[in-house]
Amino acid sequence: MDTENLIAHARARFDHATAKRTLREKYQGKLTFAYRGGMWRAGPELHSTIFTCGRIGEVVLLDLYENPVKIDTKELLGLSQERFNEQMNAWLIEYEELNKNR
Amino acid sequence: MTTGVLIFAFNNEQIDYLAMANWSAKNIRRHLGLPVAVVTDLPVPESYQFEQIIHAVPEGDHQRKFDDLSESVTWYNGNRVDAYSLSPWSTTLVLDADYVVATDQLKSLLGCDQDFVAHHRAYDVCGHPNFDEHNTFGQYRMPMWWATVMLFRRSEHARLIFESMQMIRNHWKHYKALYNIGRTTYRNDYALSIALGTVNGHTLNHAGIPWGLATVTHNQKLTQLGPDQYRVEFTSQDGKSKWIQLAQDFHAMGKGQLGAIIDSAG
Repeated sequence: MDTENLIAHARARFDHATAKRTLREKYQGKLTFAYRGGMWRAGPELHSTIFTCGRIGEVVLLDLYENPVKIDTKELLGLSQERFNEQMNAWLIEYEELNKNR
Repeated sequence: MTTGVLIFAFNNEQIDYLAMANWSAKNIRRHLGLPVAVVTDLPVPESYQFEQIIHAVPEGDHQRKFDDLSESVTWYNGNRVDAYSLSPWSTTLVLDADYVVATDQLKSLLGCDQDFVAHHRAYDVCGHPNFDEHNTFGQYRMPMWWATVMLFRRSEHARLIFESMQMIRNHWKHYKALYNIGRTTYRNDYALSIALGTVNGHTLNHAGIPWGLATVTHNQKLTQLGPDQYRVEFTSQDGKSKWIQLAQDFHAMGKGQLGAIIDSAG
């Protein structure tokens, strides 16, 4: 077995995983936003939570600080989806760039 | 109700924190649209544009060796605990002079109802795994809260946090022994971490900024590529020289490198 090659491969994989994690850190911040005094992170979890409320209009949800906040489902979903799509597209571009440089 | 940024800028032998604060103020206005108050002991040049200038006598003249500077420098870091009493704003964002605002991300903090938030986790933008050690302090590995970015609103809760930090700074020898902290130098991050624990009833349940504090360390090479675009050079695990492009807010630990960027910006 070519152990030199194995070591180089393992190190490159490690660096790639690290860079991927750093990208995740960056976009965790960019997906975060404030609404009606609460902090929210745009993403499938928030969208699912809004859908499971089973009603349109005002409902109470827990924000990132686990405080109950009265929100408007349509408003919050709209804000969250917009931010989610925008930031995920930016994330993809950076991720593809990262893969190119491997 | 007023909202603004507060920056402490006490120059030492090698670092011009006032110039750093002035450069940062321009970024803050551009991205956050907020006024900036500077706390300094120096006369402020007319070309510098701060909305408010607050004069204070520097406290805590420790010696500190930064890896990217040739010699130890005097580190005046004792005034940060006075942010609550010095700030002219109702809602204050306290930023280190070496925190680079390159986006409007901090705006989201202004819209949330918390009386006090700070970062509870920092990470190395180049992903160095050993950086996690910086997220705890003392022999008991207490969780660290970073004083680099702090947002507070005038409230009993925020007042108590800053008064506790003052108490810790004033009795640093005692707290250093209590938490078994190896470093002799007082740090605001430690004081904040201990103060939050005390004020919140030792629950370790403090409201934090819900993303990590991006950090460029002393041993990485930081240069500017263009407006809000930076380049960070580092050595990867396989010993290769690599670089990444940064287009986000970050904490520049290499004061000398940031100083060079500011000098070249004129």
